[in-house]
Amino acid sequence: MDDKIVEFGHLLRENGLKVSVAENMDTFAALGLVGVYDKQLLKDTLRATFVKRQVDIPVYDELFDMFFTGLGEVIKAAAASTMQAMDMTEEEFQEFLEQLEDALQNMDQELSDLARALLTNNTGQLEKMLQEAAQQSNLQDIQRSFQEGQFANALAQMMGFGNIQQELQTLKDALQQAGLSPEQIEQLSQYIDQRLQDLAHMIRSYVRAELEKKDSELRDQQKMRSLADKSFYYLSEDEIRKMKEAVTKLAQRLKHIIAIRRKRAKRGRLDLQRTLRKNLQYGGVPFNIILDVKKKEKPQVVILCDVSDSVRNVSRFMLQFVYSVQDLYSKVRSFIFVADIGDVTKLFEDNDVHQAIDLALRGNFINIYAHSDFGRAFKTFHRDYLSIINKRTTVLVLGDARNNYNLPHDWVIRDLQQKAKQVIWLNPESRLTWGFGDSEMDRYAPYCDLVEECRNLNQLYRVIDHLVTA
Amino acid sequence: MFESVDDVVSRLSDQKYICSRQIATVVYLASQLRKPILVEGPAGVGKTELAKVVAGAMDCKLLRLQCYEGLDEAKALYEWEYAKQLLYTQILKDKISEVLEGAATLKEAVERIGRQDSVFFSERFILPRPLLQAISADHPLVLLIDEIDKSDSEFEAFLLEVLSDFQVSVPELGTIQAQQIPVVVLTSNNAREMSDALKRRCLHLFIDFPSQEQELEIVQLKVPGIAAQLANQVVEVVQSIRKLDLKKVPSISETLDWAKALTLLNVHRLEEAQVNETLNTILKYEGDVRKAEAELKEYISRQKAKVETSATSQEQDDKDLLH
Repeated sequence: MDDKIVEFGHLLRENGLKVSVAENMDTFAALGLVGVYDKQLLKDTLRATFVKRQVDIPVYDELFDMFFTGLGEVIKAAAASTMQAMDMTEEEFQEFLEQLEDALQNMDQELSDLARALLTNNTGQLEKMLQEAAQQSNLQDIQRSFQEGQFANALAQMMGFGNIQQELQTLKDALQQAGLSPEQIEQLSQYIDQRLQDLAHMIRSYVRAELEKKDSELRDQQKMRSLADKSFYYLSEDEIRKMKEAVTKLAQRLKHIIAIRRKRAKRGRLDLQRTLRKNLQYGGVPFNIILDVKKKEKPQVVILCDVSDSVRNVSRFMLQFVYSVQDLYSKVRSFIFVADIGDVTKLFEDNDVHQAIDLALRGNFINIYAHSDFGRAFKTFHRDYLSIINKRTTVLVLGDARNNYNLPHDWVIRDLQQKAKQVIWLNPESRLTWGFGDSEMDRYAPYCDLVEECRNLNQLYRVIDHLVTA
Repeated sequence: MFESVDDVVSRLSDQKYICSRQIATVVYLASQLRKPILVEGPAGVGKTELAKVVAGAMDCKLLRLQCYEGLDEAKALYEWEYAKQLLYTQILKDKISEVLEGAATLKEAVERIGRQDSVFFSERFILPRPLLQAISADHPLVLLIDEIDKSDSEFEAFLLEVLSDFQVSVPELGTIQAQQIPVVVLTSNNAREMSDALKRRCLHLFIDFPSQEQELEIVQLKVPGIAAQLANQVVEVVQSIRKLDLKKVPSISETLDWAKALTLLNVHRLEEAQVNETLNTILKYEGDVRKAEAELKEYISRQKAKVETSATSQEQDDKDLLH
């Protein structure tokens, strides 16, 4: 049983739960108290010691049922199917088994352990043999569903499936000479065939159960992890939905980290002057200590998002991310552009983030089906909105800088850089392609304080982190 | 001390707390293994209450430490009573000058004062906060650390040390070892994820909203005078409201408030007028109320239809009898 618990802990770990040695030790200590005989109690106990997050509870429940009802149930189900096939009730079946055992003892034929266990339906013995065979054929290494057949074969071989087939055939022949009535012989050989099928079935179910254990959550987990590294260009509908969640989570984490950093930065040294002044009322005896508080101003952000076809997904996450951590800035103004430029700040004030993004990208503000013209958009911005830029503003431009060979008007960015605290350009294209074809990245780049490739969520996270801390 | 899981269930129910097997198992394990329990779950499912009833069931004192942002060691563990120390030095000025009398040099004077250090940094001047109280107590007790998610990460790290060793060191006094290990209950509303290190040291318990039967049991236990039919309806309505997409779903305590309010108003069966008047006991946002009203209307009309059909069938029966 100890091995089984450790193995179960291992299985949980593979499925994303954090199970360390400490958890294992707790579990054994707890099981020493409550025992392992009451299944519900076992489940509750293991849940208390192994599961530490609410989100893991459904995974745990599923895995527990899978793990602790595995093999025994499979074997019992096989016996039940035999019973059904032979059209017997449970008592009849028991009686039949007893008779069979007597008959086998009377016959001088040597039977292997497996054949004996199988014919007499010895559940414990069968379970043990299956487990041993599984260990020898490394069943625990199974990973993918296409390996199912291969492992089933290996397991069958390990159990000596070929031998037992032969053995049972000779047994059937021996029955003919044992002087039984034709009906009995008929019944017995039917039973033997049935059991042989059962064994094959058991092996298959066992392998499948083992595979399911590995499979279920693991894949989802891997998907989520790799999602952060996947380029925005290649997301499917479903992944976009998942990505929204990931962005929310990441934003939450960032918020938390920043809050700690801010607090740490705030706590200053002893402010002698103010301490003395404050404590004059106590005759200069320092009852209350005053520390200086460093003021750190929150950044103001102006976002210019290219929402042309090629980068719309990136813009979506960018906007979501920026607005999810909105309280980290003092002010956010956001604009979207293709060839025209539109102010969408109000949208985000009035609506929930996702709604606002959908509204912004629907095309009511600007024509989103035009050809990208960065130059024109920038020029319009310069004309209408330059006054919102001041020394504390960070300008964040998101776009691939593919200008369709229009005039780039890079002087706008130069002007912006002079007026603003910093200009950051995020390009969702791979760095290698910048400056080729109609990409004007090289013209804009000299006027930006930071130019970053921003192709996936992790890169986006780094940029935002830089933005709120720098 | 609890003897078994069943013992926990029965003793908690003596304290008027209805708990699932899961809760009882964790409480039993915690009391035996001397490990803290980290309780998580939505607001108002009885996380804090659990600590209280455990204290009641074990017949011992409950110490409560309410966490908030900015809570630090001084507020949680101990503090030197600076003002008292100052006051004493002022009052004892004469005595101090006596001690200092004849000191030739400044160095000697400091030396002499230094020898008296232990007078001022002794247990007389220490102000024990809940954690130190829990550790230095000589009788068993339950320590409730409420809403740990509201505290800062630094405090959480500090708590780790206390919870794993059950000892604290006060530099001036030395290390204080716990005489007995208290049962510790930490509650969290999941405002933030707790660190893995803290979780590793705790048994984890997640309490969700109770099932319909359990909630009914709770209502009947906590609101003694309630009509059976009303209790049934209240629980049914609350359970269905919880399924709506609300800003804040009603918790058990709100169900109880509502049941109490309706009993006070002498209601025996849910009617639309009273429901609308009292709905603000379970729902705390205007938007939520509007959403729930539609659901409730439907529920009440359904109930009415049910009552009427049963009434008409009754009539039918009577008529049949007359024939």
